[in-house]
Amino acid sequence: MATPKSLMAKPSLSALTAAALALPGLAQAELQTDYLYSHYEEGDLPGGRAASGQSSERYTIDSHLFRVVAPFDDQALTVNATYETMSGASPWWVQPDANGRPVQVMSGASIEEERFDVQGAWTLPLADLDWSVALGYSTEDDYEAINGGIEGAYALQNGQLTVSGGLGYSYDQLDPEVGASSTDVIADADKDSFTAYGGASWVIDAQTLWQSTLSYTLHDGYLSDPYKRAFIVDDAGTVRDARPGSRELWALSARFRHYVAAANAALHVDYRYFHDDWEIEAHTLELSWNQVFAETWRVTPAVRWYSQSQAYFYAPYYASARSDGLASSDYRLSPYGALSARVDLRKALGEWELGVGAEWYDASADYAIESVDVVNPGLVEYLSLNLRLARRF
Amino acid sequence: MKRWAMRCGVLLWAMLAGACAAVQPWQRGDLARAEMAFEPDPVLSSYRRHVEFSKEAASGGASLGGGGCGCN
Repeated sequence: MATPKSLMAKPSLSALTAAALALPGLAQAELQTDYLYSHYEEGDLPGGRAASGQSSERYTIDSHLFRVVAPFDDQALTVNATYETMSGASPWWVQPDANGRPVQVMSGASIEEERFDVQGAWTLPLADLDWSVALGYSTEDDYEAINGGIEGAYALQNGQLTVSGGLGYSYDQLDPEVGASSTDVIADADKDSFTAYGGASWVIDAQTLWQSTLSYTLHDGYLSDPYKRAFIVDDAGTVRDARPGSRELWALSARFRHYVAAANAALHVDYRYFHDDWEIEAHTLELSWNQVFAETWRVTPAVRWYSQSQAYFYAPYYASARSDGLASSDYRLSPYGALSARVDLRKALGEWELGVGAEWYDASADYAIESVDVVNPGLVEYLSLNLRLARRF
Repeated sequence: MKRWAMRCGVLLWAMLAGACAAVQPWQRGDLARAEMAFEPDPVLSSYRRHVEFSKEAASGGASLGGGGCGCN
């Protein structure tokens, strides 16, 4: 009988190094293929939060992700491909109702889009370091992006400490489409993004790992949403969404892993502190319990909490236009919090692995770390279901 | 803010480096288990990162991003 490989404990230095470095596709012994299908569906916008007074359907996304890791000698080639179709209605702008309460105006339910994305990475050891070189391309009807990056990791103290870092660049081009809900859009635009991160992971004891990372990203170019608008009360009308032309982001994250031998399970705790020069501050905390049963089953329940403050130029709507010309009522820039819960189940069957999973996510002012004066009516709730199929050769 | 973040990071690393006990390679069996990886499921992690990136203002971590928009 074949051994179920991926769920089995395989105490080896190379496996430990792969875990400790968290570099994808590092030094695997066999060809691995993995497929994920996901159905993502946002909850309806309630009538009480809509300008029309009617509840409105929102976004649905069907995604197919493929991953192949092909090892050769001490190197590996990893290819990730994503194809997804998106349809539904999207928040357009926010305006006050008769009592000054913000209500959401939705775009027509006519958005139909597809996205294709492919990312390749080559990992190799060179001069005592483990390197990974990545290239990627993504395309949508109105969006195209190329990205590349290099990551390196160096093990010290007999593998007890691993230092890693990476540099990345992405060039994104937008070509917004004119439609019934987008009559006044820019012709085209682009942006550059630079990312750098550095971190270290430690073997704390025989059951505990820790990783800390500091990352920095600079976006430069068109950072607005070409399809969204903002309402100005004085003008009794809307203007284009307009955000600053650059944005600097900092994130400090910590990941903790502890193996609970008595329960045959691993506890994961991830925390991230985020700050950017749009004055958004955010906290993310995620806890998951990775339980193995009979060496071939793995069930992973998890909860995630998120909270962010608002961008300095954000408002649900504006009494009058800002002197700097900025305007955005996008809920992503509003103050809110979010809770999500998920569970994933995997089963190894010889060389095959099957899985199912579900995640529920709810954004609300109630979950925010600070009290929210005016809640954006466009906050999202979604349910995501996934199916998995993997095979090792 | 940047200075604050840097100081916190350096302090944390120094504390951890001091706290670590020597763990010999033959004592690392539990650490090598698949469920102990920082990213035990790269496909699901990258999918979830993309969804969160398209719904929330915060992003960043031990990865380089990329992959277009997919926003709405």
